[in-house]
Amino acid sequence: MYRLHSMRKCYGSNVALDIEDLTIGEGRLYTLTGANGAGKSTLLNILAFLSPPTWGEIFYFGKRVDWNHGSMEEYRRKVTLLHQSPYLLGGTVYDNVAFGLKARGIPEKERQPIVEKALDIVGLPGFRDRKARELSGGEAQRVAMARALALEPEVLLLDEPLANIDRETAGSLETVIASLPARGTTVVLITHDPDQPERLNGESIVLTGGKVAHPRPPVRR
Amino acid sequence: MDFLISSFAAALRLIGSLSPDVVDAVGTSLAVSAGATVFAALFGIPVGLLVGLSDFPLKRFVVTVLNTLMAVPTVVVGLLVYGFLSRQGPLGALGLLFTPTAIVIGGVLLAAPIVANYSLASVRGADPRIVPTALTLGAGRFLAVGTLIGEIRFGILAAVIAGFGRVVSEVGVAMMLGGNIRGYTRTMTTAIALETSKGEFAFGMALGIVLMMVALLVNLFLNLLQKR
Repeated sequence: MYRLHSMRKCYGSNVALDIEDLTIGEGRLYTLTGANGAGKSTLLNILAFLSPPTWGEIFYFGKRVDWNHGSMEEYRRKVTLLHQSPYLLGGTVYDNVAFGLKARGIPEKERQPIVEKALDIVGLPGFRDRKARELSGGEAQRVAMARALALEPEVLLLDEPLANIDRETAGSLETVIASLPARGTTVVLITHDPDQPERLNGESIVLTGGKVAHPRPPVRR
Repeated sequence: MDFLISSFAAALRLIGSLSPDVVDAVGTSLAVSAGATVFAALFGIPVGLLVGLSDFPLKRFVVTVLNTLMAVPTVVVGLLVYGFLSRQGPLGALGLLFTPTAIVIGGVLLAAPIVANYSLASVRGADPRIVPTALTLGAGRFLAVGTLIGEIRFGILAAVIAGFGRVVSEVGVAMMLGGNIRGYTRTMTTAIALETSKGEFAFGMALGIVLMMVALLVNLFLNLLQKR
């Protein structure tokens, strides 16, 4: 799905990422771990096509990503990134979850059941008309998750998505996340929870000082 | 103190009786200020957004110029526009000097830098996650910027209101370019200046009260919108 080759991301003289070769397969789940400043969020931003690498190449389904001339919108519509502290737009929960669907030109009639379903998945049925800004931190995180799930992206990039959520909800969301690869969605998830990689039964990418330390094969699938 | 109290009472009577002079001055002020604000917004908002959202080599210089333009005295703007609109000026043939249009032109020059700077400040103060969030949800560049504008709409509205406040309260441009012609180009501020110098303090105070009421109403309107 993704292949990163001789890729570097620099901020001034600081090399944030230096990846010789990394392949991310389709329909798989990867946990991305590493110390603070290891380059995890930088990598996610690049995989989300939000930020170009300074050097090197990225291939998506074998096609070289041209950051200067290609239509990044086309790539971005296949990938959704969920931040640790997501931004909810002003308006209702519905407005937020339907945003990406609207951007894709999906008619209002079709949007409604998709939004309802996504809210059900994250355990927020009946929240559609609530004002997004009045939600608690955990509820906001779940709305952002619903917003991402509603799009059924090819790749879901998650930056510590369960950090602000209560244990019970985190457990059910973890089950949802773990089920995504079976539906063809590739998941790359940043975590600081040492047990999460094993619980999610995925492959592990460890970053150390911007370099891939030791990619490991799947635990079991 | 008696003087102030009796003037205040007389001013309220003038407002209550809808004195034609007061109504004329208020009407002219609101019309030219609204006209100038609309044009200033049409120019200032895009400039503020463009400068705020893009990076270019002379950005700092442009921001400094915009800031400087905010501080230009109204009489200097009046003088400049007067030079263009006077009979000997390049636009003298249009016959705009001492017309409400001339005041609108001066007002646009006063308000546009304010609208642009406040819009720029709104963009700079916006949550940095807005555009990436819109992009990662599949929005194109235009929708992402549209989403940002939607999120900072109250800042933009405040910019427009600040521009209106600048125009409605200034006296230099209205006096120099309008000429303070009764029933035609006499605004609240020029009337206050003239009538007070003639000793008609109550009349000036009446207009001052209306001016304050206008400012209050505009801000109440902004608050109402923010609550919704």
